[in-house]
Amino acid sequence: MIRRFLAMSALLFLTACGGGGGGGGGGSTTVTPPPPPLTNFATITVDDGPAALNTGPNAYTQDDVAYVSVTLCAPGSTTNCQTIDHVQVDTGSVGLRIFQSVLNTSLLAALPNQTDSSANPVGECYGYVDGYVFGSVRSADFSVGGESVSNMPFQLMADTGQFANPPASCSSGGGTNLNTVQAFGANGIIGLGVTPTDCGAQCQTAGGYGAAIYYDCPTAGCSTIITRNSSTAAPFQQLPNPVAAFAVDNNGVIVSLPSVPAAGQATLTGTLYFGIGTQTNNTLGAATVLTTTTDQSPNGAGLVTASYNNKSLGESFIDSGSNLYLFVDSTITQCTQSGFSGYYCPGGPLSLTPTLQGQNGQTASAAFTLQNAQTQFNGNTFAAVPGIGGDTAVLETSNSYPNSFDFGLPFFFGRNVYTAIEGRSAGAVSGPFFAY
Amino acid sequence: MPENQNSTSIAHGPFNRLTPNLVRIAALAVCAAWLAAASPSHAALGGGFDSVAADRLHLSAKIASASAVTHTVHTLTLANGSVVREYASPDGVVFAVSWHGAARPDLRQLFGAYFDRFQTDNPLVSGRRTHRPLAADHADFVVRSGGHPGASWGVAWLPLAAPAGFTVNDIQ
Repeated sequence: MIRRFLAMSALLFLTACGGGGGGGGGGSTTVTPPPPPLTNFATITVDDGPAALNTGPNAYTQDDVAYVSVTLCAPGSTTNCQTIDHVQVDTGSVGLRIFQSVLNTSLLAALPNQTDSSANPVGECYGYVDGYVFGSVRSADFSVGGESVSNMPFQLMADTGQFANPPASCSSGGGTNLNTVQAFGANGIIGLGVTPTDCGAQCQTAGGYGAAIYYDCPTAGCSTIITRNSSTAAPFQQLPNPVAAFAVDNNGVIVSLPSVPAAGQATLTGTLYFGIGTQTNNTLGAATVLTTTTDQSPNGAGLVTASYNNKSLGESFIDSGSNLYLFVDSTITQCTQSGFSGYYCPGGPLSLTPTLQGQNGQTASAAFTLQNAQTQFNGNTFAAVPGIGGDTAVLETSNSYPNSFDFGLPFFFGRNVYTAIEGRSAGAVSGPFFAY
Repeated sequence: MPENQNSTSIAHGPFNRLTPNLVRIAALAVCAAWLAAASPSHAALGGGFDSVAADRLHLSAKIASASAVTHTVHTLTLANGSVVREYASPDGVVFAVSWHGAARPDLRQLFGAYFDRFQTDNPLVSGRRTHRPLAADHADFVVRSGGHPGASWGVAWLPLAAPAGFTVNDIQ
């Protein structure tokens, strides 16, 4: 029933968007069987996060993080399965990553290691803006919503044995080893960004690395970097963008979240649609398409240009995995209260008017109202809080170096944000692109 | 081999009149034999020109160098296409490093003695969790970074070691 209800919601969404396409054919006297319910979506929840976050001396509850549930089964099994809740929806990264600690022992024991040309297990390091995750590459039959991939590689974060210690070449990128659910903020992460795999061409040259580093991991540990191809179908090597590996609806996603009152909301429920222009519920409609840089671009993939305060910021992006707007504006007051360092605390709601421009020259307003982070967070336990912004550094300095404006999850409130995969056509436009 | 600093084929003088900003000129390859002789034990930030060569070896990068009015830029192009730029003062000391590419490069190598300080500056913050980009803010050592997996940028510089006339906006 829930699924049927959501399918109806999907049609309402379509209508609300003016997306055209199929819809109610009223007026006919002929009874026609209803189309099969659509299943190309999953429910997004913005809430306090998994219970593991709110325990111990470092307890906290999450803000502005979108979660979805995914199901893993032992390859070929329909019974040795587990549904993992609170997997972060991240349009800024690629690949499925799940913490070893959240899997039950019977499933864990039945998830085969991916092996390399030396028949050793494969390990992986993956870098985020604040650190890195390390673990083994395992395979599972994966499903989310009504979509699935057989034998899909994913990263088992914080795995044990020879994967217990990240190699020096992993940790030397700096930042924290994000090796617990509490440190990471989720039970796992599903990366649905603009590239088909998590390392592209960078991991196909000897000793090469990109966002990911793959390792040969004999029993003694992982140290030798290995090459991995970027197939999005079996036999896989790199972690695929799970959507790129679907049989259908495999050109991108839509993150659809309702708007949130200015003061915030306890929790928020939205929808993650798979595919763009592949079903009646995921049409591109009137959204403005902003094509992005590609895997081969010098500055990396998934970038557009933000115009803000008469500056052109060429390394900007839209990212559901950032839980605030990150940008530099030395004219905006920074918060001073302990625990709010680096957040913006304007005296009142502040209207900001950045504009985004794609590599295709198309532009769209990305205006929003910046709120005082201290006021927004103090005294409430809301998980969905709009208008939160911060500087890219801990303290402000009056320089203009940062060439970037990161539009995090608050940007998604009240919008349908499309992320299309490189090399895939979506709504008659070739990815990679963002659209909204 | 700091005594060899003047033996490189970096262009000087004639280009200085073009613009007060960083001058993009035809890059000149540095002598491979000189690089091979360089000590690999020093890292770039705060180090001499030998440390640039050490970084090149460690990162398996191609190198090109170009001079501007106040400084020299050594551009290291890594196998994965990432670009690391090292900014050296006239006396050869590297006072700034920047990167652009798919991922953060080996910052332990590039930051050298500053790496541990950088790590101390970026602990996992308890309480409210934001995946905040790595940064450092000191009078003598500043780092900014950002991006997402697949597109990373960053800059580290030593404000007190930067030559007069150089501003952070000269960093690319």
